[in-house]
Amino acid sequence: MLLNRESAGKRWKTRPDGPAKVTGSLSYLTDLSVPGMLHGKVLRSLYPHARIMAISIDEALKAPGVAAVLTHRDVPGLNGFGIVTPDQPVFCSEVVRYTGDAIAAIAAETVEQALYALSLIQVDYEPLPVVTDPEKALLEDAPQLHPGGNMLHRTDYSRGEPEQAFEDCAYVTEGIYYTPRQMHAYMETEGGLFVPEESGRLTVYAATQHGFKDRMQLSRILAMPEEQIRIVSSPIGGSFGGKDELNVQPYGALLALATGKPVKIHNSRRESVTAGLKRHPMKLTMKTGMDRDGKLLAHEVKIVADTGAYSTLGGPVLNFATEHSIGPYRIPHVSVKGVSVFTNNGVSGEFRGFGGNQSIFALESQLDRLAAAAGMDPWVLRRINLRERDDPGPLGQTVLPSEGPEQVWRSVAASPIWLRKEQMDRGEIKTPPSPWLKRGVGAAMTMHGSGLGYGIPDPGGGRLGLSADGKLEAAFSFEEFGQGITATLEIMLTEMLGCHRDDLRIVIGDTDRTPHNGSSTASRSTTVAYMALKDLVPRISEILCRIASLAAGLPASELQTGPGGVWHKVAAGGYKKRDKKTASPLITYAELAAAAGEAIQLEADFHFPVTPDPVVGGHYLYTATAAAVEVEVNLLTGAVSVLDQYHAVAAGPVVNPMGYVGQIEGGSVMAQGFALFEDVCFSEGVPRTMNFDTYLIPGICDISPGFHIDAIQELPQDDPYGPRGIGEVGSVVLAPAITAAVHHAVGISIGKLPISREELSGILPDLLAEKVGTP
Amino acid sequence: MSEYIWRATVNGRKAEIAADPSDKLAALLRDDLGLTGTKISCELGRCGACMVLLDGKAVNSCLVMAYQCSGKAITTIEGLAEGEGLHPVQQAFLEEGGFQCGYCTSGMIVAVKALLDEHPSPSAEQIKEGLSGNLCRCTGYGGILRAVNSCAKIYTS
Repeated sequence: MLLNRESAGKRWKTRPDGPAKVTGSLSYLTDLSVPGMLHGKVLRSLYPHARIMAISIDEALKAPGVAAVLTHRDVPGLNGFGIVTPDQPVFCSEVVRYTGDAIAAIAAETVEQALYALSLIQVDYEPLPVVTDPEKALLEDAPQLHPGGNMLHRTDYSRGEPEQAFEDCAYVTEGIYYTPRQMHAYMETEGGLFVPEESGRLTVYAATQHGFKDRMQLSRILAMPEEQIRIVSSPIGGSFGGKDELNVQPYGALLALATGKPVKIHNSRRESVTAGLKRHPMKLTMKTGMDRDGKLLAHEVKIVADTGAYSTLGGPVLNFATEHSIGPYRIPHVSVKGVSVFTNNGVSGEFRGFGGNQSIFALESQLDRLAAAAGMDPWVLRRINLRERDDPGPLGQTVLPSEGPEQVWRSVAASPIWLRKEQMDRGEIKTPPSPWLKRGVGAAMTMHGSGLGYGIPDPGGGRLGLSADGKLEAAFSFEEFGQGITATLEIMLTEMLGCHRDDLRIVIGDTDRTPHNGSSTASRSTTVAYMALKDLVPRISEILCRIASLAAGLPASELQTGPGGVWHKVAAGGYKKRDKKTASPLITYAELAAAAGEAIQLEADFHFPVTPDPVVGGHYLYTATAAAVEVEVNLLTGAVSVLDQYHAVAAGPVVNPMGYVGQIEGGSVMAQGFALFEDVCFSEGVPRTMNFDTYLIPGICDISPGFHIDAIQELPQDDPYGPRGIGEVGSVVLAPAITAAVHHAVGISIGKLPISREELSGILPDLLAEKVGTP
Repeated sequence: MSEYIWRATVNGRKAEIAADPSDKLAALLRDDLGLTGTKISCELGRCGACMVLLDGKAVNSCLVMAYQCSGKAITTIEGLAEGEGLHPVQQAFLEEGGFQCGYCTSGMIVAVKALLDEHPSPSAEQIKEGLSGNLCRCTGYGGILRAVNSCAKIYTS
């Protein structure tokens, strides 16, 4: 169904975090302050690659207001962090590998004092040759950035005999694709408050997408038992993957423990850009061939990813890129070789789409080029090769049967935008009167994995109960960074329990108050919440009805949970017809809590659905998506405007319509930036686009007037996993759809993102010469 | 040197702060008055997260220094609603999904109020002009536009 506020009807619900957000009363973790707190600042490296000869903090220690100056000598535990491999020093001691590397941290009474004291720290550097090109980094004589060399990770997947199969192909296309270093550009920069408690424990109020993982990492760094650390990680002013890894937490925690006082840190935008993660720039070399009928036979892929200075999740990102370079297509002969390489270009890491964005752009572009070479309709070419319901996954692994790819294909084929393309091709639509304005339509599709994939611990679960004060309390270790998980939980709970939103207390983002049910990443939380509540709701209902049955003297089978408490089923059924004011539950939740005598807490505990086949990183659940766009290219300026877009998403039942629409709209506009203008420019390892004056993200003037979402809700019968995540799919197919539309408009096949305006405007002279004729 | 006292009316109340004349308004609001609804993000006037009304006009409070707004009337997101309820712009953002993470929302709502005060029934071009100084990374502006359009109906009715 076309999903919007009107079609969603009564299921369009305002968000529980909404009133506090629209009134400005919500305290983000960077808004917190306590009397007597100190301010922390971090000294970052002057060079992208250098040896540290000496660090002198003597003058800084004497500066006014300074309470502590910390360096590598002051880390009690592991001087390193990283979700998979902790190879990023908390404080560098011998070598710096990017300009975000930390050398010292200072706590002072004011921010100004901390900044002044930073300027007094003397660091003697010996600059080293800078590694900026990942391909050159792999040459033997390249400077080595880590003890194990410059290669972080390699992937190698193959099936069939691609080299031989190319000989049987009627059409073969070869392409090289480059993708940009996109910045998350969350509006709230990293920061938080770090409080040493009187009990000896440490409370960390700082954004992350996996509180329990931060707790584990901080425990290693501080040499403190995990139980001694509490992580409060929500609410968050945007993340998109960018706050998944530790950022300011080690510094805030060490300074708080060293001074015995609360310490606040809040990065400036410049610091955030310098130190923070970015999307992996990738070079994808593809050779793809098909037979005369358009059946794909062979596909060869080489991926080189610039992972920057440290590991974080560079390995899993490459795994994901490898898997998604094959797509929802039947291709008998495949070879994918990927390599993720250390350089001095910042740090690349986790970012919405997780490596899929890059691969999908390249693969979909290849299919468009093949279609053009064979004179075929590009969408028909995809249909010919589309996977079927029970096919194995891209890496040959067992996956949950899915009709998603075919559903989204059909949706786009029948969409008004695609029909307009057909009309354009038949010359039935008038072109814009100005010869330098050209319009075109393009489309792309994929199936995008959710969950962390085979081989990675991916715990799911949650807790549901009745608190002593009579609230139905649901606790999950998720974070709210805008995606709407609190709204989704509220809607699931009110619909499954029949209760009112005021009966609920939703607890998230606090390691002291929630069970560990994994990260808020990888489009996984909606599925985890659904699976947990499907288990927990019948169990809590049964317990509540049993207690109510004793109190009311009615059989439990005649009772059910509802607004305010437990109801008699007949009364509940007749609720709407009767006067709402006089109808009331047999026993309220508060009375039930009193009758129970103690808080009731039930837990669910499971692993996120994973393929049984030992294919590292391979997924089991996927969300299929396809998008069609119409663009207008202005050949005078080279600007591309998106006029209209249509997204088909097969993600199962829509739980939270407002959240669903918002994720697809927001993801798509982020992808528009990726396609048209976003790229953190580096020169010799130094970032040059340090703020929103030079790093441009889409503004309100850039968005398309038309936006349509077809939410396909049907799942195969007996599907046990319910709604799929949609946090990433809005951002993964728009770029190739835009480049296809540009090709349709002006005949240029784009190989590099963001699209170069110069390349597009460069064809104007030829075009005009053609129109006017040569004298 | 005698100490500088910054005096202004903030959300209808008199405020007096011993400040430096070059202190940023954003810092006075957040750090001295505890009005953390006003956010800081780029600190160079591009993103609009710190937007407040200065004598009714939307300004980036990260670019306004204490001496420049001394004696003036300042309205922050906290002062938009009258009484207990929500301002119609706040209500529209709530109902239309005009926010996600919420960090740009204070400034965005302030900008929308300033826009609608000037153009109660804004054209598409006026909306773009009025909100071009406010960045949102979450929503893709869809919900924000819906909120503006639904408000415009209220403003004009």
